[in-house]
Amino acid sequence: MRIIVPIKQILDPGGMTVNRRAERIFINREEYIINPNDKNALEEALTLKDRQGAEVVAVTLGPERADDALREALAMGADSAFLLTDVAFDKADSSVATTVLGKAIQKIGNYDLIIAGCQAADTGAGQLGPRLAEYLGLPQITEVRQVLAVGDGKVRATRRQGKGYAEIEASLPALLTIARDANQPRYPPGARIINAYREWAVTVWGASDLGLEAAELQPLTQEKRISFPPEREFGVKITGAPEEAARELVQHLKAHRVI
Amino acid sequence: MDFTFPKEYQLLRRMVREFAQNEAAPIAREIDEQKEVPRALIDKAAQLGLLGVPFPQKYGGMGAGETGYCIVMEELNKVCGSLAVIIGGHIGIGATAIYLDGSEELKEKYLKPLARGELIGAFALTEPGAGSDAGAIRTRAERDRDDYILNGSKIFITNGKLSDVVSLLAVTDPSLGVRGGVTAFVVEKAFPGFSTGTEEDKMGIRGSDTTELILENCRVPKENVIGEVGLGFVTFMKTLDLGRLSLGAACLGAAQLALEASVKWAKMRHLFGKPIAHKQSIQFMIADMATEIEALRSLVYRTAWLVDTGQPFSREAAMCKLYGSEVLHRCVDRAVQIHGGMGYMRDYFIELMYRDARITEIFEGTSEIQRYVIASDIFRQEGVRILP
Repeated sequence: MRIIVPIKQILDPGGMTVNRRAERIFINREEYIINPNDKNALEEALTLKDRQGAEVVAVTLGPERADDALREALAMGADSAFLLTDVAFDKADSSVATTVLGKAIQKIGNYDLIIAGCQAADTGAGQLGPRLAEYLGLPQITEVRQVLAVGDGKVRATRRQGKGYAEIEASLPALLTIARDANQPRYPPGARIINAYREWAVTVWGASDLGLEAAELQPLTQEKRISFPPEREFGVKITGAPEEAARELVQHLKAHRVI
Repeated sequence: MDFTFPKEYQLLRRMVREFAQNEAAPIAREIDEQKEVPRALIDKAAQLGLLGVPFPQKYGGMGAGETGYCIVMEELNKVCGSLAVIIGGHIGIGATAIYLDGSEELKEKYLKPLARGELIGAFALTEPGAGSDAGAIRTRAERDRDDYILNGSKIFITNGKLSDVVSLLAVTDPSLGVRGGVTAFVVEKAFPGFSTGTEEDKMGIRGSDTTELILENCRVPKENVIGEVGLGFVTFMKTLDLGRLSLGAACLGAAQLALEASVKWAKMRHLFGKPIAHKQSIQFMIADMATEIEALRSLVYRTAWLVDTGQPFSREAAMCKLYGSEVLHRCVDRAVQIHGGMGYMRDYFIELMYRDARITEIFEGTSEIQRYVIASDIFRQEGVRILP
């Protein structure tokens, strides 16, 4: 079984300070990490590998420094890694990212499952998984809590639905996106960290390796401006005896023309 | 000259930091109170390779060298002194003696499972009448056909109770003295005649046991001699040289935490209408801490580089232990002062750090011994032999 896990490298949110008044984000410590939710996806793939054997392939789209995210994925237990990097990919939005990753996944080929995160912690777009499934023409199960079984050409998984869980079955190959707190990603063992950098290789593909032309790499969206949502204001705390408090509450509701 | 850590070391540091923060930090106080590091925590550390950091992968180790080992000790001791001391006793001296001079058979039989954390190691030199004065040891090893019969006792042994395997020094020929008459052995705790005695009740590092070892007609096969018969003192001194470096790294981690906690507190604690960060008396303490820590960091990792590139390092390693323990002493003392009453309370981790730190100026060679090692190396290069 081959499982492909697309991951994204993001700036560590722990190293930033947000200044609302200046509407600016200050970077105190520029450190890059694997998007935490993508680590959940990788963990789910590695759990399947431990459980029933699988080849786990990590793939990322990003600048050269995204190599570190792939080395970490290798250290955690991935078997091979692909870095998709090219100046032509620099302005990629969700649509371009889908094209590039989709092409790369087709080129890797022979896959049974694609396991992705639901959302990146930087852009928060949450589009890649579903778009990728459409691009590759695969059935998809989103926000998976637990993968129950893979075999006989099918995958069964649970996802939250309303106040409970739904169990969903899809035919293979399929794409799953994993919910944010579905699992606790493992620590990479030390010896694998050393080998990931000193012994193992990351395959690098650019636009020409994927047979992509400039016309296919035009983003559909453009970032115009970053703004900050208004700050939430503190409400009024009503204390005192129940009857008095109720009276005060009604006055507030009337004053705000709620009733 | 490039002072940036290679990427594998950066990721190793992040992994160990997250491991220590998530797994050890929440139970650091409990470890001190229960006088025990849970075996499950040691096993988790073993699965990540933290019980075999410097050893090559062919011996079951992580293959991260002394630089990697210093990073691990720094990050672990930042969070839990007891866990760092257990691993230090296990790797830094116990297993290292076998790694440095042990035969391939000994490495296969003991170093591999030690590096994987399947066995826990210890290092036994100190006796009631001998510690820094290693030449005064009394434990006897007498040849009996293919075995040695060991008799005597060792005290203050880190991991004495926890360990499965002990690297131990004994006199094989009293007439030859310390150079020629003393031999290092690997002794399994399971060997008949080998037992543990009194466990000490300590000021700090209380989760790491410090225990007496007793040898009564303990039969050890001759294959368990580390290196050559009569050269055990050399093996033990080489081992202690390396151990000193990683102890310096451990001190660096704890001193760094003392600084970070003090900065955080100075921002938070208000006095006379302002955070105490605005008081010059506090600023000077913080500046001194940060400066000494930075100097220590350079010393530790430069010395690790000397080791990893095969250059002489004894003098610098002694400096790491000496300077590291004294920087840590000053940093935790200032941290208590900056935290005021809070720093003295058992509810807060500064008090635990203060108690855990004190041993670093004593164990594995006191500060006085380190100064002797450094001075004798300086004078040796001037053609003057200094005796202890």
